[in-house]
Amino acid sequence: MNSSELSPEELTRYARQIGPGVFSAEGQLRLKNSTALVTRVGGMGGPAALALVMAGVGRVIIAHGGQMISPDLNRQVLGSEAVLGRPRAAHFADYLRSMNRFVTVEAIDHEPDEDEALELAGRVDIVLSCPPGFEERLRLNRAAVRGGVPLIDAAQWGMTGTLIGVDPGRTACLRCVYPEDPPFEEFFPVVGGISAAIGALAGLEATKILSQAGRPMFGRLWMIDSYGACTSMVELARDPDCPCCGPGTRRAT
Amino acid sequence: MEVRVVVSGRNYDTAEAIPRHLTLPEGCSVDEALQAVAEFCRQGPGLPESCLVAVSGTHLGTLRRHKPHVLSDGDELVLIAPVAGG
Repeated sequence: MNSSELSPEELTRYARQIGPGVFSAEGQLRLKNSTALVTRVGGMGGPAALALVMAGVGRVIIAHGGQMISPDLNRQVLGSEAVLGRPRAAHFADYLRSMNRFVTVEAIDHEPDEDEALELAGRVDIVLSCPPGFEERLRLNRAAVRGGVPLIDAAQWGMTGTLIGVDPGRTACLRCVYPEDPPFEEFFPVVGGISAAIGALAGLEATKILSQAGRPMFGRLWMIDSYGACTSMVELARDPDCPCCGPGTRRAT
Repeated sequence: MEVRVVVSGRNYDTAEAIPRHLTLPEGCSVDEALQAVAEFCRQGPGLPESCLVAVSGTHLGTLRRHKPHVLSDGDELVLIAPVAGG
């Protein structure tokens, strides 16, 4: 059930982010009444989910399978040494809950398959795609396109990363950008700083879209290359023959 | 004419052989520029065909499949090998 107002306690809590150049009071209320899905919540999804929770997005659903392992500790900020060998999702959710009692955090202890991704897309206002491979990203893209909800795709490699904003049916989807499946790399290199930066920006972009603040980066790819100390913004073109979001498409691929 | 080249994304470190600026003939096409870039990658694995190609912020497609485009002096040729790490 949607709330019609923010409590005095909430207004105090969010005082630094309500005003000119940030969120309006109405925008903050929109955040409170919004639901976001973040999958997964590791190096990028963790900071993204944290940004959503701290900003006051009312319900945040996180999905991440498996257990915390030592190589995760260079970037998975929702975990800790104490979580090693334990399931990620439940512990990450507890940490997120500890950051904002006005937010409901729902944990899913696995990566959603095709049907579950579509079901989730039907009950959220935005999808943040932060998994470690293209198969899962393209699955989330299909679900977001079919569900008609915005998608923010956050990805990284080494010291570089990209953000893509998708407004289904209006701007390029991931399949328009990657018409063929790119190569998959199981053990990709990563430095925690770039994951955190890209994830935080994904969370920020989601709160902008949900609150209707600023200009969304729909239809753009933002590449941040820390290794080369450069950045590029690319206006993405829709593929008129895209099998996922093209005109008349009924079965997204 | 001179074109700035930005190569990023996956395996950006292997693309260090590619100069940041290319001097090309006037009216050069993006395909000719990509051929010039490929010459610098001969020793390494090269860029993947799924690599995104853009010129001065405009998306043309991938290395394998992209729109034709004529470059102008001062253009920025951006090549981003897809990244998917989480």
